[in-house]
Amino acid sequence: MTPEPEEPEAPAGPDAVLRALADPHRREILRLVQHAELPAGQIAAHFDLTQQAVSQHLTVLKRAGLLAERREGTRRLYSLRSESLQPLRTLLDEFWPDAFARLKQSVEQAHPRTEERGPT
Amino acid sequence: MISTSVRIAAPPEVVFPYFTDPQLLVTWIGDRADLDARPGGTFAVDFGDTAARGSYVAVEPPHRVVFTWGIPQDPTLPPGSSTVEVVLVADGGDTIANLTHRDLPPDREPSHREGWERCLALLAAAVCQ
Repeated sequence: MTPEPEEPEAPAGPDAVLRALADPHRREILRLVQHAELPAGQIAAHFDLTQQAVSQHLTVLKRAGLLAERREGTRRLYSLRSESLQPLRTLLDEFWPDAFARLKQSVEQAHPRTEERGPT
Repeated sequence: MISTSVRIAAPPEVVFPYFTDPQLLVTWIGDRADLDARPGGTFAVDFGDTAARGSYVAVEPPHRVVFTWGIPQDPTLPPGSSTVEVVLVADGGDTIANLTHRDLPPDREPSHREGWERCLALLAAAVCQ
C-alpha cells in the first residue's frame, strides 16, 4: 500500500481544529500570524517557551490545517489559512443552539412536569 | 445574524430567571456570571479564560430580555458591539424561547479575516464549556 502522505492540504475536521485551539499558546500564535506572515523565530520570540515547544505547537496547527507554511531560503514562514475558518463558522453557528439545548435540559431537569393525573 | 429557538416544557415565568439569575444562567452558558438584570446593568459571563461582556438593554419579565454582548480581547467584537434579544412565548404550558444575535461582524466570507478573532474567541468559549 502507498503510505499516506502528510496531508496538511486536506481540510481538517472541526475536532482537529478544536484540539488545536484548546491551548492558549496556539491561539496566541494564530493571532500573531493572522495579518502577517512570520518566521518561526519571530513567533518563538513572543513566548517564554523553548524553540522546540513552539515548533511542536506550529506542527499541531499545521496538521489541523490552520497554518500555512512557506519556505523562503532557509526560513520557514507561517500564516493563517483563512480557508480553515469554514468548519469554525459551522461551530460558531452552533454556539447559541447548543446553549439553548443546555438551557432546555437545565430548566426541564429543575422543573420536572408532574404526570398529568386526574384530580384526587 | 444568528437566530435559534427551542421549546421548553415550562412556562415563561420559570424560564425567564435563567437569563437574569447568575446561578441559573451558568447552568447553561459559561461557568461564572455577574449579572445586574436591569437596563444598563452588567451582563458578564466567563467561559474558562474567555469573557463575554455587555449590559442589559431591556428586562421585561417574563417575556423579553435584551443584552449586549462582546469579547474584550476581540477587537472585532468589543463589549457592547452586538446585541442578543431573547423572547419567551407561552405555548400551552410550554415556552418557545427565541434568540437573535444581531450586529455580529460580517464574517460569512471565509476570506474575511476580520472575522477570525471573533471566531476564535467564541470558539474558545464553546470549547471551554
